[in-house]
Amino acid sequence: MDETVAEYIRRTVLKIPRDEIKAMLQKWGFLSEEQLETVNFHQIKDNISQDVVQLCEENSADIKQAAVLDMIYNHIYSNKRTWSVYQMSKRGEDTEVFDLTDFKKKFKRRLRSDLKNVTINFKEYEDNAIWIRIAWGTPYKKPNQYKTSYVVYHSQTPYVFISASVLKSNMPLLCQALVVASNYHDIREMELRSHSLNSLKDIVFKKYSQNFQSYYPRPLQERNVAPETDLRIVEENRSEKERIQRLTREAFGDGPQPKLEFAQYKLETMFKSDPTMDVLDKKEPFRCLVKFSSPHLLESLKSLAPMGMADAPLSPLLTCIPQKARNYFKIREKKGLLPGSFLSP
Amino acid sequence: GLFAHLELLEARAYKAAVKQEEMEQQKEKLARLRARVQELRLQRDELRAKLDLQRKRELGKEGAVLDPAQSSARAVVEWKIKKLKSMLQIFYLTGISGKLTKRGVCFCISTAYEGTYLDSYHLDLLTKPEVQIYRHSLPIFIPLQQIAKKFLQTDIRRFLAVLSDHLNAYMGRRYQADQLQERFSEQLEGTLQRNSLCNLLVFNYKVSSQSETFPFHARLLYGDPCCSLPTQVLVSC
Repeated sequence: MDETVAEYIRRTVLKIPRDEIKAMLQKWGFLSEEQLETVNFHQIKDNISQDVVQLCEENSADIKQAAVLDMIYNHIYSNKRTWSVYQMSKRGEDTEVFDLTDFKKKFKRRLRSDLKNVTINFKEYEDNAIWIRIAWGTPYKKPNQYKTSYVVYHSQTPYVFISASVLKSNMPLLCQALVVASNYHDIREMELRSHSLNSLKDIVFKKYSQNFQSYYPRPLQERNVAPETDLRIVEENRSEKERIQRLTREAFGDGPQPKLEFAQYKLETMFKSDPTMDVLDKKEPFRCLVKFSSPHLLESLKSLAPMGMADAPLSPLLTCIPQKARNYFKIREKKGLLPGSFLSP
Repeated sequence: GLFAHLELLEARAYKAAVKQEEMEQQKEKLARLRARVQELRLQRDELRAKLDLQRKRELGKEGAVLDPAQSSARAVVEWKIKKLKSMLQIFYLTGISGKLTKRGVCFCISTAYEGTYLDSYHLDLLTKPEVQIYRHSLPIFIPLQQIAKKFLQTDIRRFLAVLSDHLNAYMGRRYQADQLQERFSEQLEGTLQRNSLCNLLVFNYKVSSQSETFPFHARLLYGDPCCSLPTQVLVSC
């Protein structure tokens, strides 16, 4: 077994939290149950990884099999990477019949025709997600297994989720290969980024909680009157509180919000001041960047009005984030923001 | 002399009479107010009794004597609510129901396959200045924009019917693929290859007869997006 492969497997195992190592190796399926029994998973991680590498030697692992272990790790710990969303478009209107084998063949062929030294791995999951792992090399160097790109694609959708961490020069090649393999014409990057891959999927696949008015009798448990409170306490502004609750529910829906870490607003508007103050001599747009960060941005925005920190209704610039599927905005003069059209794709 | 004395006595008698009358009036007034108080007290007791009765009935205690007028009004309201709920249920069962919103209408399309109810999807439309889609919860691989371009402005009924066909067919295909994986897992070899729209299924399976098993490879193509049955099937040994 190659030295580099051994080192790669060792480093991958070291990344995994100790309690998860055995389960992940079982999922990998490259080592048999009997082999796994021989490893003591309670020793320090350094020793565990050495033992695992030893067993892989016995089975003569190659880089492709080692890459599968890396894929399993990144699938479970996908929140350690930053994911961007790309949108593909096509001119034709035929319903596609997506053939997975065809897709994989076309992708590999296209990418390999541009770059000889790449390692490409595919893995399909139950939710129709196709994961692609790409390790990039150059015409003179073998692929660097530590600087990998991950692509997640759901068939017959125009969205691709990419976690790049590569040289800028490789992105166009990757994009071209995706477009060719999936029978689209064009691809562009959306203004949407987050660590939580599932939240990005929820936003673009419209699976986040939207408050639709319908007659379909939904269970109304969440809407019950507040539980018994002390009768000696009288709420003076109950109607105001109810108004805020109603507006918040209308803007954000009832369920959990997708997890985004920030929203960035780039202002290119004129500074509006008292004419007598005349701060700027030249009438130039005042450039300013406003960034909201949070471990869970949308949940914190949702709780602003109920906690009394902001007036309800909140600015539509904040509440439109999931619907417009973006967390980077440019605000220009006259009639506000760079519009995404109402029929957001 | 005498006349002055008589005048005095007359005046005194007059005053006494007036006083007497006043007192009598006061007494009468008092009696009347007392009677009124009694009346009000009686009314209050009656209302309290009614309230207690209501409360007891709500808590479900037995043996309460129901006020007939009250119970019939309540029964009518309950019957009306039940009737409305069943009407809404019927609309839901037809597969397409809608509710007017402030700016347009919100449709709910429900799907089913052969007697099993599956998911529901929502479509929020604006009606001014022209009919357009505001937001929706449809799966992203349903060709909503294509269908909207063809029918949304001209024939909204057809738009909804075509959309409902697409959704029901997709859900039907997906349900069948899921059932295949669940109920025929012993015959399936390896994984079932499918895609988001479930319009191409490729799998290997084995058929056993008389202690011999025959491996087969199947490829099911569903060419019609509005149909939940395949248009082309290839089976090979």
